[in-house]
Amino acid sequence: MVAVGSAILSVRNVTKRFGGLVAVNRMSMDVRSNEMLGLIGPNGAGKTTLFNCITGVYRPDEGRVFFEGREITGLPPHVVVRRGIARTWQKVRPFKKMTVLDAVTVGALLKIPSVESAKERAREVLEFVGFPKEKFARLGSEITLIEHKLVDLARALATGPKLLLLDEVAAGLRPHEMDTLAKVLLRIRDELGVTMVIVEHVMRFVMNLSERIIVMHEGVKIAEGTPKEVASDPRVIEAYLGTKPV
Amino acid sequence: MIKPVALLGGRSALYSIIAIAIALALIPLVLGYNMYYVYLAAQVVLVTTMVLAWNIIGGYAGQLDLASSGYMALGGAVSGLLLAFYNVTPWLGMPLGALTAAGLAFLIGYPTFRFGVKEVWYALSTAALVVILQRVFWLIYGSTEIYMPVHRWSWYHLRFSRYEPLYYMLVVILLVTLWLNIRIKNSKLGYYLTAIGEDELAAEALGIDTRRYKLYALLIYASILGFVGGIYVNLTSIVSFRMFDLWLGIVVAVMGIIGGLGSIAGVFMAAVILRTLEEYLRSMFGATIPGIHLLIYGLLLIVVGVLKPEGFAGFLKYFRRRLARGGSGG
Repeated sequence: MVAVGSAILSVRNVTKRFGGLVAVNRMSMDVRSNEMLGLIGPNGAGKTTLFNCITGVYRPDEGRVFFEGREITGLPPHVVVRRGIARTWQKVRPFKKMTVLDAVTVGALLKIPSVESAKERAREVLEFVGFPKEKFARLGSEITLIEHKLVDLARALATGPKLLLLDEVAAGLRPHEMDTLAKVLLRIRDELGVTMVIVEHVMRFVMNLSERIIVMHEGVKIAEGTPKEVASDPRVIEAYLGTKPV
Repeated sequence: MIKPVALLGGRSALYSIIAIAIALALIPLVLGYNMYYVYLAAQVVLVTTMVLAWNIIGGYAGQLDLASSGYMALGGAVSGLLLAFYNVTPWLGMPLGALTAAGLAFLIGYPTFRFGVKEVWYALSTAALVVILQRVFWLIYGSTEIYMPVHRWSWYHLRFSRYEPLYYMLVVILLVTLWLNIRIKNSKLGYYLTAIGEDELAAEALGIDTRRYKLYALLIYASILGFVGGIYVNLTSIVSFRMFDLWLGIVVAVMGIIGGLGSIAGVFMAAVILRTLEEYLRSMFGATIPGIHLLIYGLLLIVVGVLKPEGFAGFLKYFRRRLARGGSGG
């Protein structure tokens, strides 16, 4: 077990309820600096809700969240980003009437007040994630799904985060597109030193990328370990496939 | 000839402003200094200014605000009443009107944005604001019309026996508003407002304090309207509860939408064309077919909605692309 001090992000007993439904139930986890943590679980396990509790979209009903040792529980999203946590969205939320470059510039403006310099930074980030240069001037309504995912990623990256929360970034992509994306993610971690938490449905994608995986089911953590350990855990198999009929 | 296409670029923004300034400066001459036509031209310039001010909150920030006439009337009432009752010059009254409108906008906008009132609910609450302002004014001053003092030619009172001075003052305010639009569009504020208008949650997650920036947009918008109100009351010579006209607020928003939300050139053209058309239709058919301009508005809204949801800006872009293609010999 990792001590709290060495973790970049610590979630402690976070609970989030919607009416009678407990979406996240006394969830705790640590994210270590510079790791690529996989967060998996079947539909409705509470992964996205947990992300929303960390990034300030929701305020947790109970529990606390610490980032770099400072409490961030209940801070609004724009403050959480300023502290260094950026995110992408399960369902892409593009700026349809802005060009790709302008959309990423919005992210870069967080740390760079001048529009011209922010644009320059946005160009660099887009190139880094491998977005085709000739499409920088395309509108958000004129690009493909994988391009949307890359813009979403670049937009978040342009804010200069220390921790990146990726919500189903591979969903809907073709296998070769997933490989491209996986390479980009590895470069983000290795060259930029950004820690990542990857929420994912696509098992192959996350199993190959993450050295450590946490499994959620019905709002609670049911397993934690290496991909191999997790994959053979009976509770995980049960959560995904159900119990054997008697 | 005005080249609105250039406005889309921004590099030649200055030339566009100069071109528009020259064109507007020549209009009274073109109209033969006919009092009535210059009065109408002043109305067109006024409404165009309103729509351009609205573009900041409605076009960029995407907030369907219907209270433009309310803020303008409030500023106009402050300036006009000070002039009528205390002989205070509008040169002081107009900034005070702007301040009052901005103050009210802050009082309304702060809780509205704090509690996340959005979309239709925002539109309804701004519509209610105009109605409330009208009622309050009516409670204080009743239905009497308060006339501005009569002066043949006084720059202190901004009262003249002709409309040209007020027309040119309105032109200056229009140009300043136009310049503000361009400046904002190419600044951090513009990028942030546009992002908010596109997707508030995504904007927030990129570090934008959406409440604060929406409030900035609202304050700029309300200040411009509060300021121009002082000239409006001198143009009509009357302060009355009728100035708090929700219909005008709706028309301003409609023009902004037809113009193509956020597109400076599109919004500018929509306001000029629609308002001129309205006056033309009113003067031609007003007696025989009253309300014909409303019918035309309705039809235009439907046509734009079906064919070009991006509004006039969509047409402009289409022409610009065609021009660019033609220019490269393709």
